[in-house]
Amino acid sequence: MASVSEMYDVTWEEMRDKLRKWREDNHRNSEQIVDVGEELINEHASKLGDDIWIIYEQVMIAALDCSRDDLAWTCLQELKRQFPGSQRVKRLAGMRLEALEKYEDANKQYDSILQDDPTNTAARKRKISILKAQGKSAEAIRELNEYLEQFVGDQEAWHELSELYINEHDYGKAAFCLEELMMTNPHNHLYCEQYAEVKYTQGGLENLELSRKYFAQALKLNNRNMRALFGLYMSASHIAASPKVNATVKKANVKYATWATNQINRAYQLAGRGTKENKCSVKAVEEMLESITMS
Amino acid sequence: MRMSIKLTTQAYCKMLLHAAKYPHCAVNGLLVAEKQKEKKKDSHSTPILCVDCIPLFHGTLALAPMLEVALTLIDTWCKENKYVIAGYYQANERTKDFRPNQVSEKVGARIAENFSEAAMIMVDSTRFTMGCYEPILAIYDHHENKWKCRDCNVDSFDDWCEAQKITSALLEGRSYESLIDFDNHLDDLRNDWTNPEINKSVLHLC
Repeated sequence: MASVSEMYDVTWEEMRDKLRKWREDNHRNSEQIVDVGEELINEHASKLGDDIWIIYEQVMIAALDCSRDDLAWTCLQELKRQFPGSQRVKRLAGMRLEALEKYEDANKQYDSILQDDPTNTAARKRKISILKAQGKSAEAIRELNEYLEQFVGDQEAWHELSELYINEHDYGKAAFCLEELMMTNPHNHLYCEQYAEVKYTQGGLENLELSRKYFAQALKLNNRNMRALFGLYMSASHIAASPKVNATVKKANVKYATWATNQINRAYQLAGRGTKENKCSVKAVEEMLESITMS
Repeated sequence: MRMSIKLTTQAYCKMLLHAAKYPHCAVNGLLVAEKQKEKKKDSHSTPILCVDCIPLFHGTLALAPMLEVALTLIDTWCKENKYVIAGYYQANERTKDFRPNQVSEKVGARIAENFSEAAMIMVDSTRFTMGCYEPILAIYDHHENKWKCRDCNVDSFDDWCEAQKITSALLEGRSYESLIDFDNHLDDLRNDWTNPEINKSVLHLC
């Protein structure tokens, strides 16, 4: 089996830098991390210096994702040896127990961390993840709400809660979570766009109009967000087609929908550049837009 | 007597590759069949052959707008290629959970409005292996507003041996890394959700 460095013709420094990039972007490409990380650890450990500890952590988590308990165990032992008594390493040990579905033992591990340090957010969030893994959505939601009362600025937690609510089809509460995120991150086009999607899904004329506004806002923040563009088109079209709107509102929304149509077409033309496969896509989009506008 | 459904290797393969690409997410997608020219009197003997699979989303499946876009766009694409949307598949986020839920029933019902013999397929991830030694699907039919599970065995495939062999080969070769779903397409329009390269790989291995 060829090594990563042989297959891709990369140096160990490039492999180390790739791992760093994946860490910073929070990528969950676990198979790749295991491939690159395992080789780095086995062949180049001495060259990595202090970087090796964070790499052990990253590779361990990826190994858990890939059911590579052998590799996860090795990384964990190295970390235990270097950082005895560390809460961070204890949490990793807990995650390994989770991966082995030993939830009771994992909970004990996290409880022991919380006994020493009741403000340890990582341990609390892992306990909530266990509830999620066990399918106990209502409990997970309750615990996460309690957590957020204390740690009101934890954006990852707000986002997780919005997803939990969406999966339970509680769109109103999901919208509330996204509103919190938008307030603290007014320039984040993704939160805007997700909020608009939730409003659209809730349905009703008022929510549709709100969704259109937020799709438009997302576009303002990032004019390449295709979901926002399609969303603007869909919401404006539905509003224009609604029997409950007056002629002025209808006219305005037809205008928005037409603008969106042109932008969508342009985006597809730019992407297509005349290739055969994309010609189909462009045509399909044109016909789709035509068919909706006519109704 | 309900018409039986059969899956081609390409359809089964891409479904599993989609689930393999995102093991930590729920995934869903559509199945398409060739449009029948006219309804034959003895049509109960011809099974519906799902020839292809269009992977749709991964992660949060319960939001409406992008699903509507995808359904409309793919419907248009189907008309051009003389296909019809004949089914829906879903793999849930939690491995042990392979029951249909509100999303799968809603989308399935929507497809059944246009195609009465529509199938709703749930992927059973607990039996998902690299070797693909057994079919891991549960197939549901729409009957009087309820979804009823029917037997899924090697007869549900056009050629099970071929499907098993090729799906396993593509999983080993990590072809799922290059599988494109509709979410990937929305991230970058150049990503082609018809997956021509994977289709070529399937043909190549036949």
